Amino acid sequence: MVQMAIPRGKWIGVRVKRVEDPRFLTGDARYLADLRLPRMVHAAFVRSPYGHARVRGIDVSAARQAPGVVAVLTHADVAALPPLLDPIPLEGLKKTPQRVLAGDKVRFAGEPVAVVIAEDRYLAEDAAELVQVDYEPLPAVTDAEAAMADGAPLLFEDLGSNVVYDQTYRFGDPDAAFRQADRVFKKRLHTNRFMASPMETRGCMGSYDPGLGELTFWSSTQMPHMLRFSLALFLGIPEQKVRVISPAVGGGFGQKMTLYPEEIAVAFLARHLRRPVKWVEDRRENLLAATHGKEQIIELEAAVSNDGTLLGLRSVCIGDGGGYSFNTASALVEPQAAALLMPGLYRVAHYETRVVAVVTNKAPVGAYRAVGWTAGHTARELLFDEIARELGLDPAAFREKNMLRADELPYTTCTGMVYDSGSYVESLQAALKAVDYDALRARQAELRQQGRYLGIGVSPYVEPTAWGSEIALQVGFPFPSHDNARVSVEPSGKVTVAVSTHSHGQGHETTLAQIAADTLGVDLADVTVLFGDTATAPWGMGTYASRTAVIGGGTVALAAQEVRQKILTIAGRLLEADPADLVLADGTVSVQGAPDRSKTIAEIAIASYFDNSVRAAGEDPTLTATRFYDPKATYSNGCIVVVAEVDAETGQVRLARVVSVEDCGTVLNPMIVDGQIHGAIAQGIGGALYEHLVYDDSGQLLTGTFMDYLLPTTTEVPPIQVEHLETPSPVTVGGIKGMGEGGLLASPAAVAGAVLDALAPFNPQVEALPLSPERVLRAIGKIAD
Amino acid sequence: MKPPSFDYFDPTTLDEAVALLAQHGSDAKVLAGGQSLVPMLNLRLARPAVLVDLNWVAGLDYVRAENGHVAVGALARQRAVERAAEVRQRQPLLGEAIRLIGHPAVRNRGTVVGSLAHADPAAELPAVAVALGAELVVAGPSGRRVVAADDFFVSYLTVDLAPDELLVEARFPALPARTGWAIAEVARRFGDFAVAGVVATLTLDAQGSATDARIGLFGVADRPLRATAAERALLGQPPDDARIAAATEAVRAALVDAPTDVHASGAYRRHVAGVLVGRALSEARQRAQAAG
Repeated sequence: MVQMAIPRGKWIGVRVKRVEDPRFLTGDARYLADLRLPRMVHAAFVRSPYGHARVRGIDVSAARQAPGVVAVLTHADVAALPPLLDPIPLEGLKKTPQRVLAGDKVRFAGEPVAVVIAEDRYLAEDAAELVQVDYEPLPAVTDAEAAMADGAPLLFEDLGSNVVYDQTYRFGDPDAAFRQADRVFKKRLHTNRFMASPMETRGCMGSYDPGLGELTFWSSTQMPHMLRFSLALFLGIPEQKVRVISPAVGGGFGQKMTLYPEEIAVAFLARHLRRPVKWVEDRRENLLAATHGKEQIIELEAAVSNDGTLLGLRSVCIGDGGGYSFNTASALVEPQAAALLMPGLYRVAHYETRVVAVVTNKAPVGAYRAVGWTAGHTARELLFDEIARELGLDPAAFREKNMLRADELPYTTCTGMVYDSGSYVESLQAALKAVDYDALRARQAELRQQGRYLGIGVSPYVEPTAWGSEIALQVGFPFPSHDNARVSVEPSGKVTVAVSTHSHGQGHETTLAQIAADTLGVDLADVTVLFGDTATAPWGMGTYASRTAVIGGGTVALAAQEVRQKILTIAGRLLEADPADLVLADGTVSVQGAPDRSKTIAEIAIASYFDNSVRAAGEDPTLTATRFYDPKATYSNGCIVVVAEVDAETGQVRLARVVSVEDCGTVLNPMIVDGQIHGAIAQGIGGALYEHLVYDDSGQLLTGTFMDYLLPTTTEVPPIQVEHLETPSPVTVGGIKGMGEGGLLASPAAVAGAVLDALAPFNPQVEALPLSPERVLRAIGKIAD
Repeated sequence: MKPPSFDYFDPTTLDEAVALLAQHGSDAKVLAGGQSLVPMLNLRLARPAVLVDLNWVAGLDYVRAENGHVAVGALARQRAVERAAEVRQRQPLLGEAIRLIGHPAVRNRGTVVGSLAHADPAAELPAVAVALGAELVVAGPSGRRVVAADDFFVSYLTVDLAPDELLVEARFPALPARTGWAIAEVARRFGDFAVAGVVATLTLDAQGSATDARIGLFGVADRPLRATAAERALLGQPPDDARIAAATEAVRAALVDAPTDVHASGAYRRHVAGVLVGRALSEARQRAQAAG
């Protein structure tokens, strides 16, 4: 079924400047930290200094007497609050209840143990130092495989194991594929734990009106309605009396699509104290206690024939979930996603995978842009590079040989994903052409003669997007997912679009307005997009998983289409013409072939709202419509190629070029697509070369500041060249596909692949990332233990 | 990340500043550029009861060429020193070393003298001071004294400075004739503290033999080191590749206890310090030959 097309006018597909940017660039945007209320007090959390310890007692008497302190709360004060749990209904998935403030045990360094409320944050931090916690340190386990071993220290004694999920899935006949193979190749890869580092950290503020019994809660969140639902549930406040507002939000990347214990504590305190309570997370807390990401241990095997045909795959994906199987989507959020997308855009009919989720004494793992997929994709692509080297095949040619062609789409993968459309081979070829691949290979050979090591990494990808109910099921997280938009042409002819999706940097105020403006034939400046306030936005899930262009865009298109019909109906009556003969453009409705017979949108709106003679009896006078959308699954694709030069004496890597070819179907705004790719690739460069959350054996985070947790900066990220292909989805409204994550899904493989390709003469061996200078030298045997 | 409370003083003369230090002793910390101290305050790693802010003291922000050296005052910002004509002409190694510190925003505030007093062993400037034989001028209640850089750096973040003393000036000797120089480092990202780094100067006579060799190492010990054995291996001969290789081996032999942290092991530091010594000496040799 081909879905509804969106009328195309002046706006869709154009590099429109982001309408929200002036307020961000001039400092006029108001973030959580900018908000102030009368009588507001500040929270500071007391956090566990141990990775694993029993809490024998807490003495808050000194803290309560410290200057400016309003309250000090521990678990005993909030014991009536239910624990946090993940919502994923999968058989065999064990639950790991997390108390809002730790009870008898702490399971990661940074876990909240108590909270101090004081007149300002300085005083709150002073008093937090006076809270005396009597800890009995316990042996910690900080490695997922060690946590699976018999006799490992247990995080949850009552579960009897640190393994919260362990299932094997078989697709096709993998045993036969491996029996028929000429060669079997194996790879182990321990992907590094790294994390979203939004410029704005987490934060929230609660204010309770005892007269009305209403809680107003501001939070730097990606999902206002889901947060409202949770707060109502946890605090026992009727949901209609909870209002969640997300002010300007400075990035999320998945870290803010979850319910945090700090949020519940602050909301509880606002009601408990009858004073507004605010908590702004600092960077140290963010590194310690916001969700981490990406860490898995993956064992991968490929069955291959001598001519380079891929026959089947086997994988074991072990997710290191940290201290709790967290409520984002459980500790499966990494390994389940990795396992099910492992075939990627290749022809793989036979596949077996064991998916394991483990808890360890580290910060909980949640979603981070391309969750799960980054690790699985990186393991597979690095294995493919090794296979090509072993078989003497060009790595790009090996990939192309096994890649799905356009004429094979739509294609149902062995794991059940339905690839609706795409340009896999075309994207690979376009990316190779952009870097002049053959000339680069010649240059590589020439430089090797001079002792210089240039490498090329090729990383073609397919990216699940449009997180509705169907794709959620296909990628392994069965949970209904849909959204709403309300589009209104006001009596003055101006347009208000209210959406349940959420913008925390993506530019939805521009892209969603572009869709409404084209459908309603109005100027972009006449459209305002509202979101982020449960009092004004229709109900929906918020923004995560590259879903807003498709779902938010789809809801806006559907609602605007309904309003367009209302406009044309009214205009037909005013102009005494058949609505089918009317043209809507540039803010005016005119009769086809008779452009002087016309009415402006404003004239039509005034008539609709205030002139009863243009309406049939009982007809709705408002030009407004609310529509939901739960799309079918759609998959974007692309290819990233990275050129790197490696100093084989020091192990340092210099990235010479990055090219990304992206196909996200109908492109709403190429400039915004470019921005998504640039940001995601920068994060991928960080993951491949720099960012690593390192713990010692006792569970201490050793990279607790930006001095040691190394984000790439402008000096590490080279210019990124982006090219667009456009294969509209046949199954979504307007042919739109999402595209927020491909850059981080695929770039670490391209970067690491380029480094290892450069060092091919040394036969490099790598089992872990990131590729620090030392790991590079060890991979080629220049230093040894 | 809020500092504990402290008292703040903003003296306008050096005598006042020294008097405040004499009064508060080890309870006090001196604030100049604040690029290390302020983060340490916010992380509550430093908890001084008193901050003595030098920024209001007049006449300390100079860079002067005098008596065969470049003198840098306690409030001269790194960016200003990096760009100063006196530095470019007389001691280009100093300017090049500063370029590797952080980013311009950091260097606009950070001071050269503050970096020396802070004495992070992975910082560039302490190694430059040690390698060049800089003189450090210390003011205290009983007047001024001059300390050789070699004696000044004691260990990690620890220098020869009493609680009531203040480092007020650093004097970097001008580069002699027929002298080449180089700085080479491995940092995880541009501007980071070095995992390992080397500064080197090489002075040749008219025949091309080395009459002076100075090698300073940073990031490889608890303080900046002078690689004396490697320097000796170079003297009295033309610094050919074999001599440079010998210097490299001498450096590695001296670094068996190089430290390990999250960014690199001691083994990596030892290996790469050798690589960097080789590269720095080759570059210094080239410059020295060009200068001859």
